[in-house]
Amino acid sequence: MGGLIDGFGVVLEPANLLYCLIGVVIGMLIGVLPGLGPAATIAILLPITYGVEPVSAIIMLAGIFYGAQYGGTITSVLLRLPGEASSVVTVFDGYALAKQGRAGTALGIAAIGSFIGGTVSIIGLTLLAPVVAGVALDFGPPEYAALSLFGVLLVATVGNGSRLKAVIAAGLGLLLATVGRDTFTGASRFTFDSLNLADGIDFVPIAMGLFGLGEILYNLEERHHKVQAPVAVANAWPSRADLRQSRGAIARGSVIGFVLGVLPGGGATLSSLVAYAVEKRRAKEPERFGRGAVEGVAAPETANNAAATSSFIPLLTLGIPANATMALMFGALLIQGIAPGPQLVSEHPDLFWGVINSMYLGNILLLIMSIPLVGVFVKILKVRPAVLAPITVLITLLGVYTVANQVFDMFLVIVFGVLGYLMKKFGFEPGPLVLAFVLGSVMETAVRQSLLIFGGNPMGFFTRPISGTVLVALIVVLALPGVRLLVRRRKEKERV
Amino acid sequence: MLFSKLNRRVLVTAVSAVSMASVVLAGCGGVKTTSTGGKGDYPTGNIQMSVGASPGGSTDLITRAIAEGLGKELGVSVPVVNKPGANGALNAKELQAAKPDGYKIAVQNASLFTITPLAVSAKEVVKLDDFDLLGGISQDDYVLIAPVGSGYKTIADLKKAGKNVKYGTTGVGTGAQLASALTFKQAGIPATDVPFDGGAPALTALLGSQVDVATIQVGDSIEQIKAKKVVPLAVFSAERIKFLPDVPTAKEQGYDVVVSQYRFLTAPKGTPDDVRTKLADAAKKTYATDAYKKFNDAHCLTPIEVSPDEVRKILDGYATKYKAQLDQFGISLAAKK
Repeated sequence: MGGLIDGFGVVLEPANLLYCLIGVVIGMLIGVLPGLGPAATIAILLPITYGVEPVSAIIMLAGIFYGAQYGGTITSVLLRLPGEASSVVTVFDGYALAKQGRAGTALGIAAIGSFIGGTVSIIGLTLLAPVVAGVALDFGPPEYAALSLFGVLLVATVGNGSRLKAVIAAGLGLLLATVGRDTFTGASRFTFDSLNLADGIDFVPIAMGLFGLGEILYNLEERHHKVQAPVAVANAWPSRADLRQSRGAIARGSVIGFVLGVLPGGGATLSSLVAYAVEKRRAKEPERFGRGAVEGVAAPETANNAAATSSFIPLLTLGIPANATMALMFGALLIQGIAPGPQLVSEHPDLFWGVINSMYLGNILLLIMSIPLVGVFVKILKVRPAVLAPITVLITLLGVYTVANQVFDMFLVIVFGVLGYLMKKFGFEPGPLVLAFVLGSVMETAVRQSLLIFGGNPMGFFTRPISGTVLVALIVVLALPGVRLLVRRRKEKERV
Repeated sequence: MLFSKLNRRVLVTAVSAVSMASVVLAGCGGVKTTSTGGKGDYPTGNIQMSVGASPGGSTDLITRAIAEGLGKELGVSVPVVNKPGANGALNAKELQAAKPDGYKIAVQNASLFTITPLAVSAKEVVKLDDFDLLGGISQDDYVLIAPVGSGYKTIADLKKAGKNVKYGTTGVGTGAQLASALTFKQAGIPATDVPFDGGAPALTALLGSQVDVATIQVGDSIEQIKAKKVVPLAVFSAERIKFLPDVPTAKEQGYDVVVSQYRFLTAPKGTPDDVRTKLADAAKKTYATDAYKKFNDAHCLTPIEVSPDEVRKILDGYATKYKAQLDQFGISLAAKK
């Protein structure tokens, strides 16, 4: 406990306060720019950290990471551009709210949810880090296989339109996930001998194309049919009723995000999806979801921020970087002569607690900044589509280019933009496709690794407590409607 | 009315400012430099270093450390641009096609030229002869590790266990896979290869006892070794390395397995002699700085800063040996057809 209090002493040094502020401001900005993610930004800023105290450097880099989660929401809601897989779910209701002139409500509730989710997760990190880290190690490939299967099945339920169309879109997503060099045999799949496709397709061009560009193309067509009334941008802040409605979603999202965020690879995406599905299932009128339900924004945004925070646990307690951004922080620490590993807490308590406690402060700073910024960003919707659309296309193409510095990816966006337009025209939603795409590659790798571990015996999944439980639960849930139908039929027969 | 008009203008400016910012940020990498200057002027503009991997990996961090030094030595800025894809082949092909004027260079991995060709189709193979070599950089070694609770301490212990060993590696077509496959084959240990996407997930699986042993880079595992969470069974270098002085090599234990990742500096074929000399000299001065030496130690990299001819000799040696050994032991890294 002494370490915790000393940690606050470290954070409240004026220099560290400043680095925390710089970090979250940069993070929020790059979050707004689609494409340029926290990993690339931290890589660019790495040399600057060499001359800085280790604690200050990591406080700033951490701020960039979770600040970006705040910023990413803004483009998802206003322009239908999810910059990261974990904010895809936010688009469903966030953009619907924006179209109704309630963008302020969506952004406001996202900021509040993010703040609470982040803070709950830091408290969890403070109290439970070592315990949770141990549990994370029990998650091997079989557990990932079961969880991602669960995720893929959830995908079909998050859509708003026809269930069949959602399944078809998800199937297409799973197919797209197979493009690229087979990670187990080295064989090329659907690459057409192009090195650009050797590593498969990146998430960003798919999401930007299907959501952002597809929407713009669709709107172009729409305008020929009817004159679009400019959106009245009202109440820039969520009302008390909105807050009451989102209370449960934020609470549940915090817990879901904290728990799933600890899992490296896909944890944040899965948590936003699960949080959304839980709210939709609990809602009295689930049909509101996808048409502008406030909880539909609150739940995933809370969860992905909580997940971003708890993803620090493997790095700080085990010395294992959970994603590319964490790998860069690992590198930054090494340069400073500090090796993140199991002994970090005992050898460098000031760093451990300083970084954790800076997150409390960073989240408060982000919330304070969000309040005036929401008002500013919302005004983007007042810009005429004729002006806004070309700028959005330009930002999208540039953003996609920054991901891997490949012109090829810009063409991919256009291809997926056309696909997104066609899907919208024929009543398919891009959400299930994109989410199935993200979870599909996790699932394929995990299933094949598991089968290698089990010596090829698929029953192995049921012999492990966690994967077994998840799979049995899935089978029960899937079988229930069928069983119910049978029971009802029999009753009807008896009546006749 | 006026107010809303003003607001709109402010907003359009703000939006274009954001897009400008992204241009500038993106441009950090893509600034085109014209080099019309005569002999001896080099460098007159930015020198771009491209990386065939995502930010955060060893190749990326090494490139950034060298870029920092080159920038200081040559007095120009040296932006680093990540062009991940196909184990670095994508970046290599782009470098190969670039103008040979010394304004585009890259750190490349030996595995792309020595191991990857054994695992992928001929069309994807990149040849060393298509580049001008500027010199060697450092060696990144692999270590075979087991969880502390397993009781394994040497390769012989694995053999004694008499069961099918599941081993994690950093991926298909990597040195980790090659080293493990060669070792288990030579030792006659029945084993199953479980590839992961890099060192961190392989280490996680080992700590959670999802696999029995794993082969990963020394830098990725040294802290776990120091904290006694995992036990090193063997390193795959020719001689013991200074970061793990007590860990015997596979060779010492009776297995002819010497595999490591080796990185070197390259430029497009046909780069003028004076430019190459300038770059090589600046790189050498960088390697001599304390900051760079500290970097090497922090990442467990053994410097092998040799001449271009020696780099070629090292790589040719590896390529010939790996191919011969795979043939000898009937191992295939390539797709099972």
